[in-house]
Amino acid sequence: MSRSTHESATGSEPTIEPSTESVHRRGADVVSAGSPRDSSDGARSRVRRLSAVGPLLGNLFHKTWDDDERTRILGELFFEGPEWRPFLSRFVVLTVLSTTLAAFGLIANSAAVVIGAMLIAPLMTPILATAASLVHGQIDRLAVSLLVLAGGTLLAVAAGWAVSWLTGATLTAEELTPELLSRATPSLLDLGVAIAAGLAAGYILTNSQAGSSLPGVAIAVALVPPLGTAGISLELGATAEAEGALLLFATNLVVIILSAMIVMLASGFVPNDIRIMVRGRVNLGLFAATLGVIGVSIPLTSYTLDVFADQHFTREVISHVREWDPSGRIVELSADIGDSRATVEIVMASSQEPVPAWRLAELLAAESELPVDVSVQYRIESRDEATAD
Amino acid sequence: MSKALRCFASLIVISAVATACSADSESNEQSDRVVRVFGVYRGAEAEGFRRVLARFTEETGIATSYVGTAAFAQRIRERVRDGDPPDVALFPQPAILVEMARAGVLTPLEGQLGATVRDGYSPDVAELATVDGTLYGAWFRLSLKSLVWYPPQVFADHGYQIPATWDELLLLTTQMRLDGFTPWCLGMEAFDATGWVGTDWIENIVLRLHGPEVYDQWTAGEIPFTDPRIHQAFTLFGEIALSPGQVAGGTRSILTVPAFRAIDPMFDNPPGCLLTRQASSQVAELPSGISIGQAGDVDVFVLPPIHDEEAPLLAAGEVAAAFSTSDEALALVSYLADPRSGEPWARLGGYNSPHKDFDITTHGNQFEVQLAELVEQANVVRFDGSDLMAVTVGTGTFWQGMIDYVAGLDLDSVLINIQRGYGPLPPER
Repeated sequence: MSRSTHESATGSEPTIEPSTESVHRRGADVVSAGSPRDSSDGARSRVRRLSAVGPLLGNLFHKTWDDDERTRILGELFFEGPEWRPFLSRFVVLTVLSTTLAAFGLIANSAAVVIGAMLIAPLMTPILATAASLVHGQIDRLAVSLLVLAGGTLLAVAAGWAVSWLTGATLTAEELTPELLSRATPSLLDLGVAIAAGLAAGYILTNSQAGSSLPGVAIAVALVPPLGTAGISLELGATAEAEGALLLFATNLVVIILSAMIVMLASGFVPNDIRIMVRGRVNLGLFAATLGVIGVSIPLTSYTLDVFADQHFTREVISHVREWDPSGRIVELSADIGDSRATVEIVMASSQEPVPAWRLAELLAAESELPVDVSVQYRIESRDEATAD
Repeated sequence: MSKALRCFASLIVISAVATACSADSESNEQSDRVVRVFGVYRGAEAEGFRRVLARFTEETGIATSYVGTAAFAQRIRERVRDGDPPDVALFPQPAILVEMARAGVLTPLEGQLGATVRDGYSPDVAELATVDGTLYGAWFRLSLKSLVWYPPQVFADHGYQIPATWDELLLLTTQMRLDGFTPWCLGMEAFDATGWVGTDWIENIVLRLHGPEVYDQWTAGEIPFTDPRIHQAFTLFGEIALSPGQVAGGTRSILTVPAFRAIDPMFDNPPGCLLTRQASSQVAELPSGISIGQAGDVDVFVLPPIHDEEAPLLAAGEVAAAFSTSDEALALVSYLADPRSGEPWARLGGYNSPHKDFDITTHGNQFEVQLAELVEQANVVRFDGSDLMAVTVGTGTFWQGMIDYVAGLDLDSVLINIQRGYGPLPPER
């Protein structure tokens, strides 16, 4: 599978300076971070044990955190304070607009439009907020973040569905654009992309100096295009493609949450005393996110193996087609092998009499030891040249 | 019957075959050979047939390989011409079996083997596989071609009744159009066999308009296509296929919509059509998740009669015959004549048996039990006419004529062109 673009949300996050009072009220444990409690030697030793990845990444984060910076970053993630309404409004508007833009780009098969949509998508905010809630052990903030995330997800799928409905018969379930198909067939490569992008997103969040890299992360992390693809596919009745797109979104979601949690814990973003206090919850969060990653890895592995099997079968088909019709030329080829049967669709060009499809089916069935359904369409190929004085 | 008993029975059949084919002295040396089977089943139908072959192999130890093609009539002739016939073929058109038998390339089912096969069917069914007094084939599957598929829930919601007469059918379609529906779904595309859906329509109408005697004379070539009675049948079909607003997608779509995919718009919301006439084998090609029956997504009624009170039935099927004289090939033909042979496919759905002693409780769904009862109760059953006609007409000019008619060629020219399949027309006086 090839994917040229991925999507992020942080580039367009609403930047609101939160009310200090509200942060104090809703998250007193956060505001008190960096306090003298951090100086406790016992606490430090427990924190080292708590974060096994800390030493590995510690050198990357030569950083001293203060309350103001923590408050500023968290304020950008949570829908709190007196401005939560405009904050939410902007989130809703940008989610709908970015998915609408992505959906049009996907239907028009325009990578440039899809990348543009990624840059204004705000979904990264609730995802990073979920990670931040988990590393701080804050159940109420976790619930709100998950609620916003779920709402944004549904909104994005609905926007994709609506764009597909409005554009009418532009597409059919059998003839999706390459931009759509690339989001509908995720593989283990996407897991790798999501891990790297998730680590980058967490790093940028906790390092304001790296802010100029945000557009890169925005393009790398695909969130809105798979949701748009899911909406469009559902409207067209292409349920398998919708499932693939939702799997890609889920992959990015859980991997970014886990990666961001690791970076936040390793960078010292969470005050040590809080990490000690909520150690159980954080471990549970890490465990749940890891389970999520394992959960998406299983179907991704299956998808990847299917792709490998199809590629191997396609090579076999090409080899047998040359034997079956030496005078023909393959114009289009689609080969799919499953557990119980294989299907092959070929468009051939030839200047000779078409060769019966059953002979190819027989050859392939003998090779694959499975029933093979073959469909062949021939195009007459003729060439003529002339000159005159 | 226990497995051991079945094996014993199969051994008896094989012994009978070996006795009947004493000329094939090398048969014992070929016991390991694979019987190559050629037919028309593809997709879901091929899956059903593969189960039948798998049980044959399980019971007899004889291996098979199956190849199905959409263009059987053309491909089987090519294979025979190229000296590469299959061991056994399942002919969807008895007329091609007749052609091959007369060419001397089929193995007659004689002696004990012929008697065993003949015993499996009613005399008129066995007669359809008999050429010049010699039996050549064993009927394996039966399909009904007089079925109209409809969505019962939409009928109930709009108070539509199942039409008992042709006039009621026309009134029903008029009412559907007034209610904003397109009445019919119709698709004829079928690769090199495009046109057969149209021939089924004409055969059904001829049988209803003029009765079985005229139908038999027409399929035997005694009544020409240019006869006013056949002209009338085409005109009735044209009122459905060629009239604006009658067919989903319009007349232009008929030749490009695949025969068994035509029904799909019926399950859209709102439905793209409310009626489609198609064979019972449509059941294997319904979109996934579609259920059959009064409480389901789709049900069937018999295309109503035009003059009589009772609707006649048009049937078709596949008849197995051997090109090879090997014991294994003849054992397969004999096996397919056994009423039990179709059971694995019947459990899966999509199979109806032409055998006289088939156990209908084997069917995996009520729909096929209903079909079996329809056949049993019908007073007039006729075989698909185009499959019986001389092959130059039945799978030649008749198919092409239906394409030409739907494409807009004038009816008189269409009928003359079809009739030319029998040979040059007599000069006009």
